[in-house]
Amino acid sequence: MSPMNAGEALHRARAGLPGLLVLLALVAGLVSMISVAVSDHPPASQAQQVQQIAAGLHCPICKDLSVADSPAPLAQQMRQEIAQKLRAGESADQIRAGFVAAYGESVLMSPPRQGVAGAVYYLPLLVLAAGLIIAFTLLRRWLRAPQPEPSGAGPPQLSATQRRAVARAVARLREEEP
Amino acid sequence: MSGRVTRRRARLLAGVVAVVAVIVVLLMTGLGKDPSVIASPLVGRAAPNFTLPQLDGPPVTLAKLRGQIVVINFWASWCTECQVEQAALDQAWRRFRDSGVVVIGVDFEDSAGAARGYVRTDGVTYPVVADAGSKTALAYGLRGVPETFVVNSSGRIVNHVIGPVGGAALASVINSMLTGAQ
Amino acid sequence: MGQLGTYLLLFGLAVSGYGLLAAAVGAKTGRPALVESARRCAFGLFAIVAAANATMLAALLTNDFAIRYVAGNSALETPAFFKALSLWAADDGSLLLWNLILAGYIAAVALRFRRDRPPTFPYALGVLFAVQAFYLILINGPAHPFASLANPPADGRGPAPLLQNHPLMAVHPPFLYLGFIGFTVPFAFGIAALLAGQGSDQWVSVIRRWTLVVWCFLTVGLLLGALWSYSVLGWGGYWAWDPVENVALLPWLMATAFLHSVMLQERRGMARLWNIALVIGAFALTTFGTFLTRGNVLSSVHAFAQTPVGPAYLAFLALVLLAGFGLVAWRLPELRTPASLSAAISREGAFVANNVLLLAATAIILLGTTFPLVAEAVSGQQITVGGPYFRSSVTPVFLLILLLAGTAPLLPWRATNRSRALHRLRVPATAAALVMIATAWAGVHQVAAVAGFGLAALVFVTSGQEILSGLAIGRHGMRGSAMRALARGRRRHAGLIVHMGLALVAAGIIASSSLGQQSQVTLKTGQSTVFAGQVLRYQGLHTDRQPQRIVLTTAVSVTGPSGGSAGTLDPRMNLYPASTAPIGSPSIHRGIVWDLYASVISLQDNGDSATFRFYRNPGVNWLWFGGLVMALGGAAAAWPGRRRRNSGDDNSAGQARTRPAVEAGAR
Repeated sequence: MSPMNAGEALHRARAGLPGLLVLLALVAGLVSMISVAVSDHPPASQAQQVQQIAAGLHCPICKDLSVADSPAPLAQQMRQEIAQKLRAGESADQIRAGFVAAYGESVLMSPPRQGVAGAVYYLPLLVLAAGLIIAFTLLRRWLRAPQPEPSGAGPPQLSATQRRAVARAVARLREEEP
Repeated sequence: MSGRVTRRRARLLAGVVAVVAVIVVLLMTGLGKDPSVIASPLVGRAAPNFTLPQLDGPPVTLAKLRGQIVVINFWASWCTECQVEQAALDQAWRRFRDSGVVVIGVDFEDSAGAARGYVRTDGVTYPVVADAGSKTALAYGLRGVPETFVVNSSGRIVNHVIGPVGGAALASVINSMLTGAQ
Repeated sequence: MGQLGTYLLLFGLAVSGYGLLAAAVGAKTGRPALVESARRCAFGLFAIVAAANATMLAALLTNDFAIRYVAGNSALETPAFFKALSLWAADDGSLLLWNLILAGYIAAVALRFRRDRPPTFPYALGVLFAVQAFYLILINGPAHPFASLANPPADGRGPAPLLQNHPLMAVHPPFLYLGFIGFTVPFAFGIAALLAGQGSDQWVSVIRRWTLVVWCFLTVGLLLGALWSYSVLGWGGYWAWDPVENVALLPWLMATAFLHSVMLQERRGMARLWNIALVIGAFALTTFGTFLTRGNVLSSVHAFAQTPVGPAYLAFLALVLLAGFGLVAWRLPELRTPASLSAAISREGAFVANNVLLLAATAIILLGTTFPLVAEAVSGQQITVGGPYFRSSVTPVFLLILLLAGTAPLLPWRATNRSRALHRLRVPATAAALVMIATAWAGVHQVAAVAGFGLAALVFVTSGQEILSGLAIGRHGMRGSAMRALARGRRRHAGLIVHMGLALVAAGIIASSSLGQQSQVTLKTGQSTVFAGQVLRYQGLHTDRQPQRIVLTTAVSVTGPSGGSAGTLDPRMNLYPASTAPIGSPSIHRGIVWDLYASVISLQDNGDSATFRFYRNPGVNWLWFGGLVMALGGAAAAWPGRRRRNSGDDNSAGQARTRPAVEAGAR
């Protein structure tokens, strides 16, 4: 099907797609999203638990990579240590605390939530709130501003030359239309 | 128009200058430091105990050395910077051995053969143990080699050096510990 | 050769100093002859800097180890290709490339404006020369690549192993630099507009295309960086939220915001000062990025060795911020546009939302990246802000941006006829919902992923629908072909193509982040394991001694579920004499839907046993392809139209369209 016919076919299909069907699809989509959100995740196997804890630890000899992602031997040994500690019955928090005791807080991929460092978790909300406030203020100001008045006189009379110039300008505008 | 506009301009400009000043001061604090040097939380705390086999000899247990000053040096045969500090460590061992100071080299992520070769060619005289599985390295928060920890007679870590340790610095630390109880 | 390079660089500094003075004096006193001489200088400057680069290249290729940079970054046994690449492998040398590209851009500006010029041209030229002068001062001073060694060694140290491992090193830095440095041009014109106090609409028609081209380069540069991370570093991912990666992304986000809000200025005469602020911000971010990368402030995989240039970059950054935003503050009362809006839910409102979201993402990433610095300065704590933080804070913003990209093209300007927009939303919304249902059914268990796939589908279908309907409308009454119809609304269609590319990139990111699998396994020779439905058998190790390294190649045979052979993976470990740890090279079987990715992380028993990491990475190739589509769409949008060749046309049309707005604003 050439792009032209596809365009026309789409035009026809669009006209015919009843609003009710669209609404039904949207509701079903929303429902599926909610069902995913509330569904129970199966309990993580030990390997998955090791991955989860390792993903929250920063590989000490790499830059930026987590212990889960890093191919370095030390990271490998850290993963083995995590597995051992899990088998010994330690909780995820205890394991993390053990590494923090040796390496300091910078071994955690994300800062602890307490203290000065915890402020980083509020930053995204603050940023978005600030953005929304600025946007609303701006929009309100623009909405209240006086709208440009259309002139009282009718369309101006143009000579043939001017008409051609207008036609050229309009054609250029169309080409440039964003 | 001019008076109000000028005042407004002045206020806006002052605002810009203030914000830029804060940014610059903040970034300046980062300039002086080396970002890869991270302070160890173990300094001032009890040194984690370990029992590790020597390359050729009986196992060494840190707890059994309580009452002595211990210099724990993490190294590896593949580490070029470790060779830089080798002389300093050997010198410290020879000089302070009779005062009860123990120097232990802990081999990190290495093969026994390569380690033995290094010990032979570089003439390491103090006890050298192998940390297979890196459990001790992890307990000491190792981020690379070489790193050196100095443990006092009560078993607390009093000094931590990242990178090759200098002979003079090491000697002064040990001397100050020997003369004044720390 | 070191002497020649040194003299060339000094001469270049002198020329750029003259250019700055001539342009500035010419602008202030209105002497076009001075400005013209400054303009001609730009070509001379480019030739000089190019010669300096050629000198360094020659020094590298002829093993001139008397020059400290060559001794530190090249060796006798380095292959010629990588010797050439060493030009930008380390700090001092890459500054040479930086200066070259900057001089190239100035020469391009000089060429572009050889006849018709906006009144802001002299000021802009002055600013460009000033920036070039700074970088030339740096390269002549603290970061001098031609410094010579008293006792030249017989052999050099060679490039850092990671940088000579893969040919992508040839293209990633140049494209990234083309993107980064390119922001100097819009910045220069923005400052010029503020200095000249002109109605800045003329400025916009000049700068929009430049910024678009620079955006395309930066898009490709970022893509290549991600591709390099994926194909070379062997950790199975493509973006590690490294500080240097983050700061490279920031100007891209700001430029994207500019490219959208500039339409507010073109169409409605609004947001003039805001657009200037955006280009100043984008340039400031590139300067900040340079400071962070080369100033050794944060730990990064890109960190150059410690150099004394940190304070210089910080001083330059302070100057840029003060001059740029100071001028904005100064001109604020004069250049404020009395804008008006008929309704919030309109194309104008959508562009406002676009800017808010993109700038929010920029702020979040910027603050998160610099937060460890702040925390240490304030409380002495040393912390890491890593991938998990950025992923969780940027994802909601990213999803909102997708939502916007999927609905905004349908919104009309001035909020006329909005019910039609709602009507046009039907098919995309349905498609999005169906995709969400399908992904939830298929067992994807992250909400963000389900939503993300749905929104990516929304963007894709909206853009596709608008392109097709544009074709249908364009054809109406014309004898022309589809291409002619596409060309009639070129900018709009190109923008929609960019959005389609964005949808692909989004789908790729979501798929690879949430649906990937990995497994680590140690195999003895002949042993096999099952992963991702394939049987992988370790067949053995092959050692290859090359002049500059030893390559240990493992062979892993891949057998498909049906029993048929699917080829061999050959992840490698490269041993370089300069490096203590081996550098791994992954082996990737790329597929349309997913990649089978293998990395060897350690060898035991002389290769009888090897530890592998296998990854199943879905959607990664959609990422590369979608990114390419974005860059090509941007290039299509920037392409001069048939009637645009004459630059006079460009300016007069811009003036005719926006003069009423300028006159209204001046009062």
